[in-house]
Amino acid sequence: MTERPTERPWWIAAGTVAWGAIVLAKAAELPQFDQHAGVGPGFLPSAIGLGLVLLGLILAWQIHRGVSFEEQGAEDINESHVVSYGALGLAAAACALPMLTMKQLGFVLTCTGCFVLVAAAFKSRRWALNAVIGFAFSLLCWWLFRRLGVQLGGFLPIAGV
Amino acid sequence: MDPVAGLLHGFSVALQPQNLLWAFVGTFMGTAIGVLPGIGPALTIALLLPVTVYIEPTAAFIMFAGIFYGAMYGGSTTSILLNTPGESGSMMTALEGNKMARKGRGAAALCTAAIGSFVAGTIGTLCLTFLAPPIAELAFVFKPQDYFALMLLAFLSVSVVMGTSKVRGFISLFLGLSLGVVGIDKLTGLQRLTFGVPDLMDGVEMTVVLVSLFAVGETLYVASRFGLHKPNLNPLAGGIWMTRDDWKRSWKPWLRGTFFGFPIGALPAGGAEIPTFLSYTVERKLTKHPEEFGHGAIEGVAGPEAANNAAAAGVLVPLLTLGLPTSATAAILLAAFQNYGLQPGPMLFINSGDLVWGLIASLYVGNLMLLVLNLPLAGLWVRLLFIPRPYLYAGILIFSLVGIWGVSNSWVDLAMMFGVGLLGYVMRVYDFPIAPVLIGLILGPMAEVQLRRALAIGQGDWSILVSTPLSAVLMAVAALIVIIPAALHWHRTRRIEPLEP
Repeated sequence: MTERPTERPWWIAAGTVAWGAIVLAKAAELPQFDQHAGVGPGFLPSAIGLGLVLLGLILAWQIHRGVSFEEQGAEDINESHVVSYGALGLAAAACALPMLTMKQLGFVLTCTGCFVLVAAAFKSRRWALNAVIGFAFSLLCWWLFRRLGVQLGGFLPIAGV
Repeated sequence: MDPVAGLLHGFSVALQPQNLLWAFVGTFMGTAIGVLPGIGPALTIALLLPVTVYIEPTAAFIMFAGIFYGAMYGGSTTSILLNTPGESGSMMTALEGNKMARKGRGAAALCTAAIGSFVAGTIGTLCLTFLAPPIAELAFVFKPQDYFALMLLAFLSVSVVMGTSKVRGFISLFLGLSLGVVGIDKLTGLQRLTFGVPDLMDGVEMTVVLVSLFAVGETLYVASRFGLHKPNLNPLAGGIWMTRDDWKRSWKPWLRGTFFGFPIGALPAGGAEIPTFLSYTVERKLTKHPEEFGHGAIEGVAGPEAANNAAAAGVLVPLLTLGLPTSATAAILLAAFQNYGLQPGPMLFINSGDLVWGLIASLYVGNLMLLVLNLPLAGLWVRLLFIPRPYLYAGILIFSLVGIWGVSNSWVDLAMMFGVGLLGYVMRVYDFPIAPVLIGLILGPMAEVQLRRALAIGQGDWSILVSTPLSAVLMAVAALIVIIPAALHWHRTRRIEPLEP
C-alpha cells in the first residue's frame, strides 16, 4: 500500500453527502410510517440517506484533520503506484464504449473495440493483431454463450443480422 | 434429516456422472482463477449466474462449491512458487512457502499445502455436515426480530472489521444499502429511488454491481498503475517431496489451522485473513525450529493453508443455515440461491434436501479432485501466469459484458457498469472496502423485510426489536462492536495527544 498523506480528497466527502441528500430527498416523497407495518416504504431510504450525509460529514472532518488514504494492494501494479492517466483514460473509454455502440453494432463488434482499448491501456500497441484476437474471442463468447441460452442480441443489429 | 442419512443421500446425488462433471468443471475453473490475478471466486460465480439459470440448481451449486474451494488451492500454488498470492487468504502461505521453494523445497511446500488443504477442507466439511442441521433446526425458532438483529450484527461487523477505516467501511455499507432499496417496494408497490427509469423498477441488478465493482474497477485500477513483474518460476526439479520429518512437523499445524479457520470463517466478517494470520503466529510460537521461520519453515505453510481452507467451509455454515452471507463470495452464493427462487435457511434443508446434501457431499468429492488436480499439475497451473496481461484484462472485460449485457440487454445496466466501475476504481485508490457494498445490497432488503415484519407483529412498538433474549444479545453485541473500538481509539488518542507539540 502507498500512503499519500498530503492529498485531501474533499470531493469524496462532498459526493457522499450529495448522494445521501438525493436519497433523503427522494425518500421524503414516500410515506415514512405505516399503520400496519410500523415503518413505511420511505423510512429505510430516509435512514440510509441521513446516514450517508452524516458519514460524509465525518469523512470531511477526518480529511480536515489530515487523515491518510492508502491505495489498496493488487497484483500487476508498479511498486511506486505511479499513475498513467493515459492508460486510465483508455481503460475508461473501453468501459464507456458499450453505452455508445452495443445497441447498434452489437456484442461482437463492441467487445472487439473494448478488447483493443483495454489491450492498449496495458501498453500493447499491436492494434491490428489485437483487433483480430479481440474479434475472434468476442465471436467465440457470443456464439458459445448464445448456445448456453444467454441473450446477447444479434451479430450486427443495425443491419438486422 | 439425520446428518448421516442426509450425507449418504447427498453422495448418491453428487456421484451421479453429470454432477461429477460439474464438480470437475468447478474445481478446474476454481484452481485457474485462484492462480490468475484480477479475478476471484466471487466474480467468477457472478459472471456465471446468467449462464447457470439454464442449468439444474444442484449441478450449478456443485460447480460453485468447486470454484469456491478450488480458488483456495490455486492461490497457494502461486504463493509458493511465485510469491504472488492470488487470494488474500494465501498471503501468509507466501511468507514461508516461497522461501522453501527458493531453497529447492517447493515440492514439499506444495505437498504440505495441498494435503493440509485437503485435511482442513474435509474436517471443515465434516463439521458443516454435523453442525448445519442443528443450527438450521435452531433457526426455526428465530423470530423476525432475531433475524433483524443477526443481520444488523453482520452489517456492523463487516463494516468495522473490513478495511482500515470504520468510517469508510460504513460509507461502503450505506452505499450498498442505498442501491438495495432501489425499485418497487414489495409491501406497498411504491417506487423508491427509481428516478422515473423503468429499468430500475425491478431494482439494481446484483450481477451488474458486483461485476462492475470487482472486474471493471480492478481493470481500471491495474491499467492505470500497470507494472508487470515477470514471474520468476522457481524450479521444482530436484525438490524433495515431504520427508518423514516434514509429515511430523505438518500434521499438528494442519489440525490447529483447521481449529482456527472453521469457527472464525463461520463468524460474520471472519474471513480467511484472520485465521491464517493467527495460525502463522501460533505456529511461529510453538515451533521447535524458530530459526527456520522467515527462511522457509514448513509449519508456516501447513498451518495457514489449513486455516484458509477450513475458513471456506466455515463460511458455508451461516449461509446454508441462516441465509447469512459473511463474505463477498457468500453474498454471491446467496444471490445465486435467490436466482433460483431458493432461500437459504432452515426450510432449504427440508424443501431442497437433494441440493443441500448434494452440495455438502460434493465438497468431499471436490476436495479429493483438487488434491489430484493440484499436486501433480502444480507446475502446469503456474504457466497460466504467463498469459499476456493485455489479453487477460481485455478478456475479463468481455466476460463482464457477457454477464452484464446478458442479464437483460439493458442500456441502463451498461451505464451502471461504467458508473459503478469508476466507483470501484475510486474505492481502490482511497481504500474503501468493497465487500460491505455487496453485503448491504443483498442483505439490506432482507433486513428491511424482517424489520417491518417484527414491527407489524409488535404493532409499531420498537421495543419488540429486543424482546427475545437472542435479539437482545445480538443487538448488544452489535452495539459493542461499534462502541469498543471507538472507545479504545478515543482512549488511545487522548493519551497520546498531550505528548504532541
